[in-house]
Amino acid sequence: MSAIEARGLTKRFGGLVALDGVDLRAGPGETLGIIGVNGAGKTTLMNCICGLYRPDAGDVLVGGERVTGQPPHVIAHHGVGRTFQVPRVFRKMSLIDNLLVPVLDRPASDSELIGRAEAMLERMQLIELRHNYAEELSGGQQKLLEMARMLMPDPAIVMLDEPFAGVHPVLCKFMIERIEETARAGKVVLLISHDLTSIYRLSSRVMALNQGRVIAEGGVDDIRGNPAVIEAYLGT
Amino acid sequence: MASPSRAADSADRIYFTLVALIGGALLAYFAAVPVLGLNVAFHFYLMLWITMASAFNVASGFAGYMPFGYVAFYGVGAFTTAILVKKAAFPLFLALPLSGVAGLVLALLFAPTLRLSGIYFGIVSLALAGICRLAITNMPEEITGGSFGLQLGSRAQPLQSFYVMMAVMVLALATILWLSRSRLGKALRATRDDAEAADMMGVNVPLVRLYGWLISAFFPAVCGGVEAWYTNVVDTETAFNTLITAKTVIYAVAGGLGTVTGPIIGAVAMVWLDELIWRQFPLLNLLILGVATVILVLFLPRGIVGTVLRRKPHWRRYVP
Amino acid sequence: MELLILNGLANGLIVGGIYALVGVSLTLLYGVLRVVNFAHGEFVIAGSFFAFVLFSTLKIPPLLAVPLAAVAFFAAGWLLYYVLIPRLARSDDPELMSFLMFYGVSIAAAALMLLLFEADSRSIDFTFTPISVQIGPIYISTARLVALAITIVISIALALFLFRTLPGKALRAAIMNPEAIQIMGVDIVRLSAFAFALASSLAGVTGVLVALVFPAFNPFSGAEYTIIAFIVVVLGGLGNPVGALLAGVVFGLAEQMATVFLPQALAQIVGFVILVGTIFLRPSGLLGTRFRR
Repeated sequence: MSAIEARGLTKRFGGLVALDGVDLRAGPGETLGIIGVNGAGKTTLMNCICGLYRPDAGDVLVGGERVTGQPPHVIAHHGVGRTFQVPRVFRKMSLIDNLLVPVLDRPASDSELIGRAEAMLERMQLIELRHNYAEELSGGQQKLLEMARMLMPDPAIVMLDEPFAGVHPVLCKFMIERIEETARAGKVVLLISHDLTSIYRLSSRVMALNQGRVIAEGGVDDIRGNPAVIEAYLGT
Repeated sequence: MASPSRAADSADRIYFTLVALIGGALLAYFAAVPVLGLNVAFHFYLMLWITMASAFNVASGFAGYMPFGYVAFYGVGAFTTAILVKKAAFPLFLALPLSGVAGLVLALLFAPTLRLSGIYFGIVSLALAGICRLAITNMPEEITGGSFGLQLGSRAQPLQSFYVMMAVMVLALATILWLSRSRLGKALRATRDDAEAADMMGVNVPLVRLYGWLISAFFPAVCGGVEAWYTNVVDTETAFNTLITAKTVIYAVAGGLGTVTGPIIGAVAMVWLDELIWRQFPLLNLLILGVATVILVLFLPRGIVGTVLRRKPHWRRYVP
Repeated sequence: MELLILNGLANGLIVGGIYALVGVSLTLLYGVLRVVNFAHGEFVIAGSFFAFVLFSTLKIPPLLAVPLAAVAFFAAGWLLYYVLIPRLARSDDPELMSFLMFYGVSIAAAALMLLLFEADSRSIDFTFTPISVQIGPIYISTARLVALAITIVISIALALFLFRTLPGKALRAAIMNPEAIQIMGVDIVRLSAFAFALASSLAGVTGVLVALVFPAFNPFSGAEYTIIAFIVVVLGGLGNPVGALLAGVVFGLAEQMATVFLPQALAQIVGFVILVGTIFLRPSGLLGTRFRR
């Protein structure tokens, strides 16, 4: 059984078909890279999976259970976490409080949750800033904060939307290590990027989107030489 | 690493000490007002405005809404108490909580507006308050007393209503103090900062907002009831006066939205200023209120407490 | 009954013209500056008092007050812009803070007018000869017809300005895409100041017309016009000047017909209901084209 599965996902915005019958499956410990040029439908796919968009057709299954059309917070409770291309932190809340938001409905005591949040900030090297407001962080630090927030409820599936966009190379390396750790911990990682180098390094499998369709899928080596992918990237 | 948690504990100690000190001082002061022969009316309204501004802060500072028709809750609360006491011969101490319930019912009716954001919400709120006022104005005279309003007719008991107002204020402040540290409060703040992101992080956004909205609606309705009792008279002109919204908003903003102490300090500072100005220049009162609002927004948009906390970010953990 | 309806239609058109002007100025302001002028109604009433003062002290007739108000309010708006707006832009949430700030401006403006003119309702006892004109079976006061004519002239001039001239096109472009227009090398601050001044000027002129059309006004009438402006702006689609012109007329007709068919109490609620209903059912307004934010 796949941890996450999408069947024939289709999403239209007016006349524009953003997603056109996309199938996707991934299992624990797997890192699925999703590549494609701007507007290929990568983020739309993520938004459909986490419930932000309601797909026009197709289904999303998490752990074998159909969650299509459920509101985002219900899907989140099925163990789906994500980050955003442009960080969407809770600006006027402390880093600790930012991390507590996804676990507010857990039965654990406050002090236990705060302890976990501090450990997570430690891991992301943000612990010194724990009482600062999130808006006081740099762009790269906000990306780390988002990753920490995503991991707090220990989700089975994590989706990272362009985690390296606009991030300093040193921080990039740090993030890559955290993502590798996450995959080793047995989570499904869905990784969106238009930066092929990082994708090829991290992914166990790659899916290429173009104009809302899957144009290629397979191991890193299959995709690297795939003429359709090259064509989509270089264009005509 | 153990040091962070230990630091948190000491921060908590400072926080609770501050709460106890400020709360104790506030309580002792207000309780002593009639005993010391201070101006009861002034302090009654001071407590009323502290309560109003603090409750408004839940909708605005915590949840990120600007209900420009906030007076609707107050007016409906005032009329609920007046009608129950005058027409249905309810005892006051039953009528007042029922005013709060009326506020909650109205908040539930208005709940669909929580889908709106920013100025759309503000404008609709304003319109709904207008509808409430017109609806009550046009109710049969036997119920609402028409343009003359309702005289409660009970013997005025300023001292009793003073202490009841104090109880309401304490209840409101305790609720908001709890809220500011509770999980609901964190969820509310998250929806304020980014509702979609909060939703994707597992926060049931509509439910959380509804809870915040209900808290924010309950207290002004009770305030309306207590004030009706205190002044012994209710009419639509005063009970739905937009100045009630204006003052509530201005006092809350003056102190700083989003903190527990902000609206308290804002209300104290502004009510005191208002009284001072009113005594010196009764005619300029309204003008100065308006100008003060403009100056506040332009030069102190985060309010007194908000500005201090921006200068001293590490105080945030200690200041309620 | 038929006569009542005809009267209602005629008055709806006249009143609607005024509502259209009230709305179009507010929507321009919102469109370009993304600020919500809560004091718009007070600006309008200030225009009425402007005409009142001109007539009662200098015997200047309302017709001549129209261009004078246009110039005076344009200048006042230009000044007010530089006092209020630049600081506002630096706050965390300019849109909402503008709402709050103009809330203060509206209180202050109403209080100021209260100090100057007291709470009594005023009217300008200027009369045209003949007092009224017969059109078909109904009589309409000349003042109202003149007001309607002025409304139409202003609307056409405004439309020509917005669609035919360079500054007008720049304004529309700023409404549609404020970021892009700065890249194009337009001085957005001057353009915004101009928009604010233009909106104030229109509000002032509308105030003169209000004094012509409605029997009386007082310092507290401003709030009503603010609400009307909101209704028209929302009905026309936030930031859509053409929509606002249309919505003003539609709302004027709806309101006047409501007074014909409904008890007065309910007629008053109509406006609020239209406002709330539009936001819930058709948030992009009558024309349905929401300008990009």
